[in-house]
Amino acid sequence: MKKRFLFVAVLLLSCLGLIACSSDESNSTKEKSGESNQDGDSAEEVSIEVFQFKVEFKDQFEELAALYEEENEHVTINIETVGGGSDYASVLKAKISSGEEPTIFNIGGPSDVEQYEDLLADVSDTDAANAALDSTLTGVSQDGAVLGLPYNQEGYGMIYNKKVFEEAGVDPSTIQSLEDLEAAAKTIDSKKDELGLQAVIAFPVKETWVTGQHLANVFLTPEFDGDVMKAYQSNSVAFQHGEQMKAFIDFQNKYSVQPTLSLDYSQQVEELFSTGQVAMIQQGNWVYSTIESMDPEVAENDIGILPIPLDGEMKMPVGVPNYWAVNKNKDEAEIKAAKDFLDWIYTSETGKQFVLEEFKFIPAYEGYDESKIADPLSQEIYAYATDGKTSGWTFNGYPVAWAQDILGANIQKYVSDAATWDEIVEESIAEWEKSRQ
Amino acid sequence: MRNRDLSFWLFLAPVILALVLVVFVPLLYGTIYSFTDWDGIKTSQFVGLDHYITLFQDSEFLNALQFTTLFSIASILLINAFGLSLALIVTSKLKSRNVLRTIFFMPNLIGGLILGFIWQFIFIKVFSSIGTLFGIPFLNGWLSTTETGFWGLVILMTWQLSGYVMVIYIAYLQGIPNELIEAAEIDGASPFQKFWRVKFPLIAPAFTVSLFLTLSNSFKLYDQNLALTDGGPYNSTQMLAMDIVKTAFTDNNMAYAQAKAVIFFIIVAIFSLSQVYFNKKREVDL
Repeated sequence: MKKRFLFVAVLLLSCLGLIACSSDESNSTKEKSGESNQDGDSAEEVSIEVFQFKVEFKDQFEELAALYEEENEHVTINIETVGGGSDYASVLKAKISSGEEPTIFNIGGPSDVEQYEDLLADVSDTDAANAALDSTLTGVSQDGAVLGLPYNQEGYGMIYNKKVFEEAGVDPSTIQSLEDLEAAAKTIDSKKDELGLQAVIAFPVKETWVTGQHLANVFLTPEFDGDVMKAYQSNSVAFQHGEQMKAFIDFQNKYSVQPTLSLDYSQQVEELFSTGQVAMIQQGNWVYSTIESMDPEVAENDIGILPIPLDGEMKMPVGVPNYWAVNKNKDEAEIKAAKDFLDWIYTSETGKQFVLEEFKFIPAYEGYDESKIADPLSQEIYAYATDGKTSGWTFNGYPVAWAQDILGANIQKYVSDAATWDEIVEESIAEWEKSRQ
Repeated sequence: MRNRDLSFWLFLAPVILALVLVVFVPLLYGTIYSFTDWDGIKTSQFVGLDHYITLFQDSEFLNALQFTTLFSIASILLINAFGLSLALIVTSKLKSRNVLRTIFFMPNLIGGLILGFIWQFIFIKVFSSIGTLFGIPFLNGWLSTTETGFWGLVILMTWQLSGYVMVIYIAYLQGIPNELIEAAEIDGASPFQKFWRVKFPLIAPAFTVSLFLTLSNSFKLYDQNLALTDGGPYNSTQMLAMDIVKTAFTDNNMAYAQAKAVIFFIIVAIFSLSQVYFNKKREVDL
């Protein structure tokens, strides 16, 4: 018997030994095959690991990185893309805890800044940080340091089909308030058979980011003066414009294709809107490429965007969805190479051209030729931004997962009549306060 | 069995090694983390039993637990009833029995995520088209309420797993000695009596296996849940596994999710082991 235990013990120990040994072997140097430093005087070889999450522009981004590698032979850029919000965060965490930290990665806002604080290098010395539009950096600034560089700007509102509006005799430029919007929806609704519509709106209550993040943001942002940091520091939320939020949810739900609770993003955008079965959807400029792939003509000529009305004002909520962060635990040469690369993307001529024409971004930086913004939705949003008729995105400053899991789920509850509006407001406030204790 | 010498352990080593590395070590780490405030990157302090105390006051977790339990009961009953019926059909003297076996087993070869999306299409699109066509309001709005979400999941799981447990039942049904059935026939047993008095007691070991499989499968269900309802509406069709993933990766509460996972593990272990224990007792030897 004793012998047996001894054996098990030895086995277990050898397992532990295996685990302990394996961690030393990462960070093996990568060799660039066949390419010796013939220039002699050029800088030392650096390789940058980029770990990013925007699947939509993966190919274009890799193309741009290849161009950069051509211009700077000593730099190797390895890009890894893992898409879709929550997957990205979990893979990033796994990478960090296994010692394979990327050089450049993405962060979303103040709560990410706090979580990855030990990893974030100050990028305020880059040209890109200087060129970034002022309001875009508030979410990632801390004690004078800038910890991230914005990807781009995005905006959302009610995207409408111009042709349907015209045929129904509704002039979108006259819509200045929720009453106007309702009147327009009523007119269209009365003619929906002639217009070939299933309903006026497609309202995807299933997608909690559409309701909990975007829709609610319009009505909650004024409480925080449009400042994501104020939202982040706030111990409570008052729902000052709760009644208008309710009215807007009721409005969309009333005129929507039913049942809204199982309506999702792809039904909303691809199946219903881009085929002309509904006249309006609440979405942002990112749907352009999807609509374009479904029907290029509709995308180019027939779509426009209206802001979501609040207090009789039409302000377009524009914000930065994501930031580039540089890992400060890497050696200096690598950090510098990473910063140079990001600078090059947003301030060099080649980079700028890519940002506008290939990535189809609304730039978050100065010094761009606005007339080259690729799609009509982005152009309209940019016009609102230059007129100063914008409000901010504050949902990245809410408690983690509050917008989607608490508020978004509660809106589902309200829409399915499982709870009253007052109940869900009360519960949402309580949950906010609980996580900010 | 007595001479457990060096070669015994050598042959066992790879399995033990694998088991220790991928099961015991993570289990141990996970349990330790559940007592800390680990956030996926760093651990700053031990919080003792705090997570376990909040866990039992967490309405979302308790809802998920209740939903999972109800779902498991419904799906275990249906899967085994269907699986056994299918097995009886394909062990009868039907000409098409071999083709049928393959067909019944096929759903099990499709991955859970894809199945989820296929059935989502069926429930949302096909059901509502049929409903509108024939004026059956019952078929409209599937997956948009908690009840339809629940039954949607049960139907999906039954459809997927019946074929699998069918195979197990077939194996045991075919293992029944022919003379016993013939003897029953000579004694004038009706087909139902033959099934209930002879076959049913003799396939008791099949129940042990099938119940264990369906129980642990339904309890740990994640991908079908994710693809079909994603917990909606308002997280009311969210099962335990999904609640844990959400707590960990969406809410960023890694340590708390670990605590949930530990409780989840204990629950699944208790249910499955006691089930096996009681069913084993019921088995008869020839």
